[in-house]
Amino acid sequence: MRVGIVGLGTMGTVHAASYQEIPGCQLAAVADIQQDRRERLAQKYGVRGYATLADMLAEEDLDIVDICLPTHLHRDHVEMAAAAGKHVFCEKPLARSREDGLAMIEACRKAGVTFGVGHVVRFFPEFRRAWEIIQAGELGQVGTVYTFRGGGGFPTAWQDWYAHYHWSGGLTLDLIIHDFDFLRWTLGDVERVYAKGTRGRDYNRLEHVLVSLRFKSGVIGNVEGSWLNLGGFGTKFEFACERGLLTHDSKTAAGFRSYRQKDSGPGGPGVAVPENPLDKNPYTLQLEHFLECLRQGKEPMITGEEALAALDIALAALESIATGKPVVLRGERGVEG
Amino acid sequence: MRLGIMSFAHMHAYSYASVIKELPDVELVGVADENQDRGKQAAEQFGTRYFPSFDELLKTDLDGVIITSANRDHRILTEMAAAAGKHVLCEKPIATTLEDAYAMVKVVQETGIKFQMAFPCRFIPSVQRLKALYEEGRLGRLLAIRSTNHGKMPGGFFIDPEAAGGGAVMDHTVHLADLVRWVFQTEVVEVYCEMDRRFHDIPTEDCGLLTLELSNGAFMTIDPSWSRPDSFYTWGDLYMHVVGTAMAAEVDLMRQSMERITLDQPSYQWNFWGANMDYYLVKEFVDSFREDRQPIITAMDGVRALEVAIGAYESARRGQPVKLR
Repeated sequence: MRVGIVGLGTMGTVHAASYQEIPGCQLAAVADIQQDRRERLAQKYGVRGYATLADMLAEEDLDIVDICLPTHLHRDHVEMAAAAGKHVFCEKPLARSREDGLAMIEACRKAGVTFGVGHVVRFFPEFRRAWEIIQAGELGQVGTVYTFRGGGGFPTAWQDWYAHYHWSGGLTLDLIIHDFDFLRWTLGDVERVYAKGTRGRDYNRLEHVLVSLRFKSGVIGNVEGSWLNLGGFGTKFEFACERGLLTHDSKTAAGFRSYRQKDSGPGGPGVAVPENPLDKNPYTLQLEHFLECLRQGKEPMITGEEALAALDIALAALESIATGKPVVLRGERGVEG
Repeated sequence: MRLGIMSFAHMHAYSYASVIKELPDVELVGVADENQDRGKQAAEQFGTRYFPSFDELLKTDLDGVIITSANRDHRILTEMAAAAGKHVLCEKPIATTLEDAYAMVKVVQETGIKFQMAFPCRFIPSVQRLKALYEEGRLGRLLAIRSTNHGKMPGGFFIDPEAAGGGAVMDHTVHLADLVRWVFQTEVVEVYCEMDRRFHDIPTEDCGLLTLELSNGAFMTIDPSWSRPDSFYTWGDLYMHVVGTAMAAEVDLMRQSMERITLDQPSYQWNFWGANMDYYLVKEFVDSFREDRQPIITAMDGVRALEVAIGAYESARRGQPVKLR
């Protein structure tokens, strides 16, 4: 299996490293509009680097295109890769709009290629274990759920694209869509969304969002997301159930912690940097799963439709933030709408 | 100063009675309770006199009373106490309806008694630290607050919709609604609420989530759920994640605890060593009539907090946010 990655920011770089660990898979080429980025990775992995996906497709014989571009560029690149007959793996969020998401799903269906989306949180062991415990029903009916994600500050990237709301959708569409996907996977579909955010109230780099979710099952959810500096990136969840609680806090659930004496990176001097070294990292696991599905001709766990359902929740939250009204999800699932 | 307690229906009565014993120059003169057995037992426990009726308690030489009855009875007991010229420390929420709450405001004004709402969370040192940071401008402008006041299902009158005026939302919303008003000198302008009964087979809701719009341009969620299992390591929590433009802060009352792990069940418990907020609550009440001034937590503070809870029920019924002002 020969893979080409387009977009060599944080996630493209992580995926490139992951492919080295997966047997039967070869990182064959990389593409990025920024010359220094593509040259650095091309040299590191001994592959050719291209400026664009079109150039890469013209020159290379690929099985898979892995798209790690900013959200607003997903649609065009997925359509181009699919039209070239390549299987497509695309970073989350699926797209900036429902229309784009549907078009991507349709493009892959028409081309007969497999489409997978990188909702990697489902491959993090603490989230996966929580899913297993809730599925097993050992805690009884879930009553309420809370999640937190963020606190690592405002993300910086190519052309400051996270700061462009019409490109990224802010943290609701980019960050806590992880939790929307995780919660929907664990608790089923969402009925109603009400949300408030700092957007429009303050400087847009101080983004903080609180979302109220009502699931079809009746579960009441509270999703908190932050692009402020809150002592470093972290995640939390709490499932409150009839027969007990299930809680996680990445600030305490760390197998390794280090403290820098000098300011040499995120956090600054003396700040704890929690880590969880694992035998297999979640990014490698998600790509391994996608490749295994291709080999066996199976649908991956996170299809375009699954990613679209998470996108619907995020878009509903954005609509609620903008209008101040609750938004009812009308079961708009899948390509059929 | 001489105090009496009217009803032990609310469990906080026991804490207040203990605190009275600790306060210098304050005496628990007697207790009355609509439940004779409970009242007699409490009188014995705290070494004081049991009065067979509220009237008889109020006829004695008291300075003030603490009303810890079912929420519905706060109004009638306040009116009785005020008529007898006794100062009142009233358990939260102030009442079960806004009509009752405003009637209490009126009787306080007309009789001139001192009236204090029991919002003891204002006396949590971490809350006071937060208020100081905000007032010094070090937090910047307030952006958002996520808050929880979780508890165990309390039973008793709390799950009787008539006597309590609701369930978890009525019970636990008001503490955080009062704190945000007091710490940030802001008002709640709009309420949205999801609520349901998902944990216990009881007549009231046991969980919910309120989303509030504040007059200072910030927003807030309150989770008032009775969602802690009976085996939980303490009674519940009082938590605020406060995000300002210059600083973020967390208030987490019960973290001033040590972990206690034993061979008994439940084997894991938190042992709280922080300040006793009820001590300062009752001290403020006594100080107010010693110093002949109104206490810092007024009947109108009780009204404003109740408005948020009442708004939450209306929002849940209508499925829409409800404007309070």
